Amino acid sequence: MREHAGPAPEQSFDVAIIGGGVNGTGVARDLSLRGLKVILFERNDLAFGASGNSSGMIHGGVRYLTSNPKVTEQSCRDSGYIQQIAPHLLFRIPFLFPVKSGLKGRIAIELIDAFFRAYDQFQPLKRGEPHTRLSPSELAVLEPGLTGSLVGGITFDEWGVDGARLCVLNAVDAKERGAVVHVHTAVESVERALDDEAPSGQNVGSYVVRARDLMTDRALLARARVVVNATGAWGPITAALGNLPSSRVRVRPGKGIHVAFDRRLSNYGIVCEAIDGRQIFVMPWQNMTVIGTTDDDYFGDLNEVLATSEEVRYLVQGVARIFPAIREARAIGTWAGVRPTLYAFGPNEDALSREHMIVDHANDGAPGIYSMIGGKLASYRLFAQEMSDRIAVDLAPQSRCSTHEKPLPGGDRVPDAFALSEQGEITPVAARRLVYRHGSRSARVLARIAKSPRERAVVCACEPVLEAEVRCALTFEMARSVEDVARRTRLGLGACGGMRCAARCGQIVAEELGLPPSHGAKMARAFLVRHAKTRVVAMGPEQARQEALAFAAMRATLGLRGDDP
Amino acid sequence: MRHVVVVGAGVAGTAAALAAGAAGARVTLLDGGAGASVLAGGAMDLAPWEDAAHGEGEELFAEPAVARVLAELGDVVRVGATTAVVVTAAGIVRPARAVDRALLDLAGLPAGLVLVPRVDHPGWDAGAGARAWNDTRLARAGGLEFMAIDATLVRFVDERSLGHAELAARHDAPERLAWLGARVKDAIGRTARAPVVGVVVPPWLGVERARADELSAAVGIPCGEALVGLGGPAGLRFEHARDRALEARAITVVASRAEELARDGEGWRVTLERGDRIAADRVVLAAGGLVGGGISYTPSAAVLAGELPSRARKSFTSTVDAPVTLGVGGRALGLPGSLFGESPETLAWPFADGSPLLERVGVLASSSGHVAGGLYAAGDVVADRPRTWLDALARGARAGAAAARAT
Repeated sequence: MREHAGPAPEQSFDVAIIGGGVNGTGVARDLSLRGLKVILFERNDLAFGASGNSSGMIHGGVRYLTSNPKVTEQSCRDSGYIQQIAPHLLFRIPFLFPVKSGLKGRIAIELIDAFFRAYDQFQPLKRGEPHTRLSPSELAVLEPGLTGSLVGGITFDEWGVDGARLCVLNAVDAKERGAVVHVHTAVESVERALDDEAPSGQNVGSYVVRARDLMTDRALLARARVVVNATGAWGPITAALGNLPSSRVRVRPGKGIHVAFDRRLSNYGIVCEAIDGRQIFVMPWQNMTVIGTTDDDYFGDLNEVLATSEEVRYLVQGVARIFPAIREARAIGTWAGVRPTLYAFGPNEDALSREHMIVDHANDGAPGIYSMIGGKLASYRLFAQEMSDRIAVDLAPQSRCSTHEKPLPGGDRVPDAFALSEQGEITPVAARRLVYRHGSRSARVLARIAKSPRERAVVCACEPVLEAEVRCALTFEMARSVEDVARRTRLGLGACGGMRCAARCGQIVAEELGLPPSHGAKMARAFLVRHAKTRVVAMGPEQARQEALAFAAMRATLGLRGDDP
Repeated sequence: MRHVVVVGAGVAGTAAALAAGAAGARVTLLDGGAGASVLAGGAMDLAPWEDAAHGEGEELFAEPAVARVLAELGDVVRVGATTAVVVTAAGIVRPARAVDRALLDLAGLPAGLVLVPRVDHPGWDAGAGARAWNDTRLARAGGLEFMAIDATLVRFVDERSLGHAELAARHDAPERLAWLGARVKDAIGRTARAPVVGVVVPPWLGVERARADELSAAVGIPCGEALVGLGGPAGLRFEHARDRALEARAITVVASRAEELARDGEGWRVTLERGDRIAADRVVLAAGGLVGGGISYTPSAAVLAGELPSRARKSFTSTVDAPVTLGVGGRALGLPGSLFGESPETLAWPFADGSPLLERVGVLASSSGHVAGGLYAAGDVVADRPRTWLDALARGARAGAAAARAT
């Protein structure tokens, strides 16, 4: 629906943030906690890019252990902080590093053992378990699916997280602390205000940010003293909106894909080797199994990043060598994201730094404009703190960062799922998933059910997701489409691919947002088609039947084209 | 007497068996279990309703074999002179060439109010349904307004957790249907506005038979179900209607899959899954497409034992070992250009140009369904045919009649 309304009145803010990934929302939260007035614009949805399409881990920076142990220590400590602020959202993923037998293997296992012994000293910082060394017979008991002749294995552990939710929680917290957050709103230009008279000695300016709500076509205007470009791989494109040279915000986009399978196939995450010697993995993640990941230079359209069947085959081949059950398993989807890796010409993708960097555009004649480039999900809070500290020098010199102490929404207390299940008369599984996603904020969903018992209806049976939770995602979490609801609740991302729930969800979205019902059906169709595209690249025998059934079901009750007959 | 063996008991196989029986053959029907017909929702099309003009294929109804089968399955399918219009649980109003008899056909209703009872069941949201259906062209064109009303149609608390099909089965009991009728009537009585021209109820109107006519008679105005996708009772009603029709024709039904069809002199030898063999003069293969299990898709990438397959193989196969050729667009499928199989991107969604390849691959057959030397194919197993209920029925009836008569 496009309504033509005049531009909203201009409002003034301390900081305008462009980009609703984990870095942008992290900065929005940090600065809001410091009392600054913040506005955030996201062109698509929160966590649309790399933040919502990562491996879903808050890892301890083990890859820096030999090159820069300080980074490892810092990463582990921050992993500990994230557990404290969002205890409901993290889950332990024990990992297994199996080592093949042979002379090379016998040497390798000693080295790996020593390596993880060094990592052990940092594990307490993130409540991690120390590593153990397993004999081949112990491996066979703990992970019967492993094949081949093994000399042994090493275990270590990391923490899993739903990256999209982490991002949403940061945005929700910022919003509750006074920030204005616009999703599906594209920034069209950033201009220096004519009356700009920044006090000398301060790295601030006066900027007018023009944006457009892509769903309503409404124009927005905001004035800000500082502008942060936190658009990840889109960084160089965003820079052009402020007439800044893209070369100053250069990244080397690296595409990574993951394949999801319909259930948990292994007890441990397992480190595997791909045909080119790269490390890949298979791991239990939420209620699925996930294999990942690739790392390839990406030159395509950032708004349409899709996994290809070739990438899927590369991963499956590598995993199947040591965990053959993956070939029998039913792949139910893929996701793909683009890492905003720091630019370098020459090294191969894996050797690129995952570090982050702040570009100060004062040197480009734009004081008060910064670009955040690089970084990774696990270090988002640190990166946001660094950025906010820089901004606070000028705008809130007395403030200090408190994002590591104050819990994220719902993170103050993890309620008992069984008690919730009884209280709301919902199944324990639904209650458990609700607590995972919402922590203490599950109470808000239950309050809706108490008021309107019909809302305990299960909309998506795979996850499961209740009607009340869908409505909460629309009311409190800034969702504006079926796709947005799916990103926040995992609705429609399970084994049925949204076949049973997308249309229903579309009706709820339309109702909550006051849109015509046909618009809800349109959103449902768009969601189904987009996700079908991500599924079919991994299509095996079982999924092929499911796809054929999906066409038939969609054709019968919703229509494939979307024209009103 | 000629012996015709029909492989598959979905709508195509059933039509073939009935038509062959009517043409004087002795018929054995192999029922390998539920397929696409049982999953179908109750809207019966000749072609996907969005893709083609609905007039296309009308001449099929005039063929005697097809008309006779439609009459024999008449207690489940209603083919009117004009296209029917139904509401779907997904919130649209769509045409259908024919409908399951339990569905409410809006095409016959005068302008007015259509009531949608609110019931306490997670699979039914009357408010959302009414809002969505009102926002469609067909509702406006017919002068129909949908309105949600309060009604207690769920009789017992535990019925909230039952599926639609189970609730439909409960309404086969005359006493329960009468209770439902009284409740609906009561709800209409409390409606201040008029005229009420119809009532859309949840898909609960019987499994053994469609109970819409009985309910309408009790209530006094047309009542019927909305179309639900998978898991509705329409497929079960088809099975009951099928069983009655097959029994009336004294057709032998064997609960088994066929494993192999092989030439045996002038006729055919059909090998069943337990190794039993049946001799047949003619065979109709109606084992279904990818959904029904007649065609399987198994790319090499899914079956690799080592790192590379030992040889290149085709991804699509017939699950019945038979002298048939799988193809699409009239051409046989060749070996894929990769040891791992075709790129799945080319097989499935998106579908800007009609059906995806995944749905079109099937057995190459003539327009009468003839494959080779007395072997016929019908329904979703046939290449390039729309995967629709009426097309399967018509092609099945044709193939069955041809198999019984051909020399």
